[in-house]
Amino acid sequence: MWKNYAADYIRHNRAGSGSVIAASFIAALFLSFLCSTFYHFWLDAVEGAKLENGGWHGRITAELGEDELEEIRSFPNVEKVALTGAYETVWEEQASEKREAVDITFYNKRTVYKDMQDIVRTLGLSEEAAEYNYQLLSLYFVRIPGDTMPRLLMPAYLAIVVMVCISLILVIHNSFAVSMNNRIRQFGIFSGIGATKRQILTCLMEEAFVLSAVPILFGILLGVVLSFATVRAMGTFAANLAGGRKMDFALHPVVLILIFLLALLTVLISAWIPAQRLSRLTPLEAIRGAGGAELMKKKHSPLLSALFGMEGELAGNALKAQKKALRTTSFSLTLAFLGFMLMQCFFTLSGISTRHTYFEAYQDVWDIYIRVKDEKIENFEQIDEVRAVEGAESCIVYQKAKAVSMIPAKDISQELAAAGGMEELAGIYPEEGNAYPIEAPLVILDDQSFAEYCREIGIEEEAGQEGVIVLNRIWNRAESNFRYPEYLPYIQEDTQKITLLGKGYSDDKTAMPKEVAGNVMIEVPVLACTGKAPALREDYGKSDYPLVQFISLGYWSKALERIGGAEKDLFIRVLAKDRESSEVLDRMEDSLTGMMDKKYEIESENRIREKRDNDTMIRGYELILGGVCAFFASIGIAHVFSNTAGFIRQRKREFARYMSVGLTPEGMRKIFCIEAVIVMGRPLAAALFLTIAMTAGMIRASYLDPAEFMREAPILPILAFVLAVLGFVALAYLLGGRKILRMDLAEALRDDTML
Amino acid sequence: MEILRCEKVSRIYGSGDGQVTALNQVDFSVQKGEFVAIVGASGSGKSTLLHILGSVDKPTSGRVFVEETDVSGLTPIQAAIFRRRKVGLVYQFYNLIPTITVRKNILMPLLLDKRKPNQEYFDKIVRTLGIGDKLEALPSQLSGGQQQRVSIARALIYRPALLLADEPTGNLDRKNSGEIIDMLKLSNRNLNQTILLITHDERIALEADRIVTIEDGRIICDRMKNRDALQKEWRG
Repeated sequence: MWKNYAADYIRHNRAGSGSVIAASFIAALFLSFLCSTFYHFWLDAVEGAKLENGGWHGRITAELGEDELEEIRSFPNVEKVALTGAYETVWEEQASEKREAVDITFYNKRTVYKDMQDIVRTLGLSEEAAEYNYQLLSLYFVRIPGDTMPRLLMPAYLAIVVMVCISLILVIHNSFAVSMNNRIRQFGIFSGIGATKRQILTCLMEEAFVLSAVPILFGILLGVVLSFATVRAMGTFAANLAGGRKMDFALHPVVLILIFLLALLTVLISAWIPAQRLSRLTPLEAIRGAGGAELMKKKHSPLLSALFGMEGELAGNALKAQKKALRTTSFSLTLAFLGFMLMQCFFTLSGISTRHTYFEAYQDVWDIYIRVKDEKIENFEQIDEVRAVEGAESCIVYQKAKAVSMIPAKDISQELAAAGGMEELAGIYPEEGNAYPIEAPLVILDDQSFAEYCREIGIEEEAGQEGVIVLNRIWNRAESNFRYPEYLPYIQEDTQKITLLGKGYSDDKTAMPKEVAGNVMIEVPVLACTGKAPALREDYGKSDYPLVQFISLGYWSKALERIGGAEKDLFIRVLAKDRESSEVLDRMEDSLTGMMDKKYEIESENRIREKRDNDTMIRGYELILGGVCAFFASIGIAHVFSNTAGFIRQRKREFARYMSVGLTPEGMRKIFCIEAVIVMGRPLAAALFLTIAMTAGMIRASYLDPAEFMREAPILPILAFVLAVLGFVALAYLLGGRKILRMDLAEALRDDTML
Repeated sequence: MEILRCEKVSRIYGSGDGQVTALNQVDFSVQKGEFVAIVGASGSGKSTLLHILGSVDKPTSGRVFVEETDVSGLTPIQAAIFRRRKVGLVYQFYNLIPTITVRKNILMPLLLDKRKPNQEYFDKIVRTLGIGDKLEALPSQLSGGQQQRVSIARALIYRPALLLADEPTGNLDRKNSGEIIDMLKLSNRNLNQTILLITHDERIALEADRIVTIEDGRIICDRMKNRDALQKEWRG
């Protein structure tokens, strides 16, 4: 009987079921997209871990004979045993000793730790002989004791999926509630004639299953297709990036089944929440509670009343009475608007910021940038060849070295002293001898570039002249921000000599070289103090207040190499003659990499490609985040459609009452328009307010000029998004309103089923 | 003075085999200030007649004149304005608007016309109907009898030509039914309000000045009140 009832209801109330079908479809689509994409990311992470460390689970480092290998193979959980040959390990006392190692893979990864312990015990080895592929095992949710890394990737994926499921339940359970509440009276009657709570609950859940099964399947299918397209796009993009790996889409049937079960569970929980609430109502509560939208307390809509008269008041109060039913709409539309507007504002701000700090600030200083790994500038033999590359306007080969300088207090510039001195501005205090320990990085330029730099700043220089050029400026953070910095002279213009201290290469910035045994102290002549740096891509750090010095390769080799501190890599910066053509830059980059990649390990960047990649990446982010916003908007819109599609059933008596006391069709249209505007306007206003507040915060935090943001404010895309949503909401009200306007008033007034 | 006239009014629902004639060539008129009860069995066509008189429904053929205006050919907008100004409708299930207060429910026809109420008249109505202390309540906070009084107040607020009441006591107990009929009689007497009351309850019909009986969509009897004779006839 219940099956027939449910089937009959579904057949005759397609409009009312629309929101349930749409909600199930959208939920399944989103979950399927998310899970398929995450599964792919997981596969990619596993692949990456295997490439990095190998595909083994456990490794035994010891010299093992064939018998021992056979013994390992005899363990039931061991899948594969591979002798990896000479394996270089670093033991504390036996550095770089060549040892044999055996890589083992297991069937069941959960017991790897226990099995490995058993194996080493059986072989009579110490526990330390066993090693684990922590990174790979953590991707299978296997946590090995002793692994100190956080390994948050998989928990993060799981947490996101769980959060999305909960959000979906919160969002779509209202669709089921609206559909079920339309029949509260019918279930009151069923209950009155003896239907049990269980029967009503079962009926509603079966109905929910029937309504959502097919949309879930289609949603999953489309989600997988979208995921495939996204992964493909990301793969294409990643393949073009330096160090990028090709990504292929794959989906295991078990994952597909899990996605189906997850989507079904999410949808059924969403249906169960209102169903069990409805099944618990007593017959009297059900019949009384079915009188349509009513207010429990007196409400006023003074603004709407003042603006639109009686129709405004009726629309405002009707919306208040439908507050619960419209909750999903409000929530989804607010999220959609907020997400979209914030995303647009964020990317606009980020674009302005990137332009200022990267493309604009360094636009004129580089076209091709090459990092030559593990090569000292003094050993680099291709300086002349590189400088002669076809199409180059200028070219600098340089290397950076770390050093520290002790600047006597008397050498600090008067302007800096007047601004509060090193203590106030940089938080650096004098040490013994009343001298400030200041980071003094050296930039070693090839001789020809150094000579060009000397000419540029107006000093006579012959390549190899002994001395440093000091970039004599310090960021005045008290008077300016990092975005628009102002500088003061660092040291006295007439400073003749600078003392440099250095000790080899060290990443530890806090260790002062003078505290380390064996450091070197050299006094170097100052060739000039200038505020102008050579055209390099470096931003001479504002946080550490360094005193940057430029020296020639000749002088470095002759006098300063012994202070050490040179970084591992050297850099080549090239400016092209034709700076606008990507073909020219590509060609030049190819020539440069072609001449070096056989001999050196290099990484190259190309300004135009970098900009293009950056734009593509932002477009990718926008696409993904825009998709999420569209998802929420579609839930909200589907809900508005479902509400308005059900108008004829839910609200015909309400409108019949209005009409019976003389409300004209024009008046009813006015009510629909007011409702549509409020349904969309409220989330829009809330989102707008939050967006303005948050964007103002972002502008403040990033020290950008608000007027600059206003000039580039993403008004058009936001307007297009809002108009698209408004269009759909208006369409929903137009269709629902048309039904109401066409209803038979006499019939509606006679019908008491909605009482 | 004739306030309502029906000329050969018919109303047919459906078509073909499923065709139902709810009203068949009804001729009927009402004088100003009359209190007319329309009686008939369920499905006799009395509610259809009331809906046509109230411009809620349209006749398939024939014409209806209220104060010499033909209401059978009104456009939807004209019909809405006619309902607002010329008729007051009172239903069995009150049909009050649940989201606004009793005061606004009563004033609704005036508010839709953007007209200010006559405070004296408003006070007189609510005092007469005994709902003066319920004006700021929501309809759901009132009893059935109180809701029906509000509905009568709303029907009277525009001083309509006709007050049409469709089984106004059908949802009320005996005490409340008696009170509602007394209210209608009071408005008929004091305000000279023309009232058409639909009922199937003979005791209530006997309160009217004139009783019209409908059967199968036709008026089979139309007589002025002679209470004793009527009682005998119905019981016999």
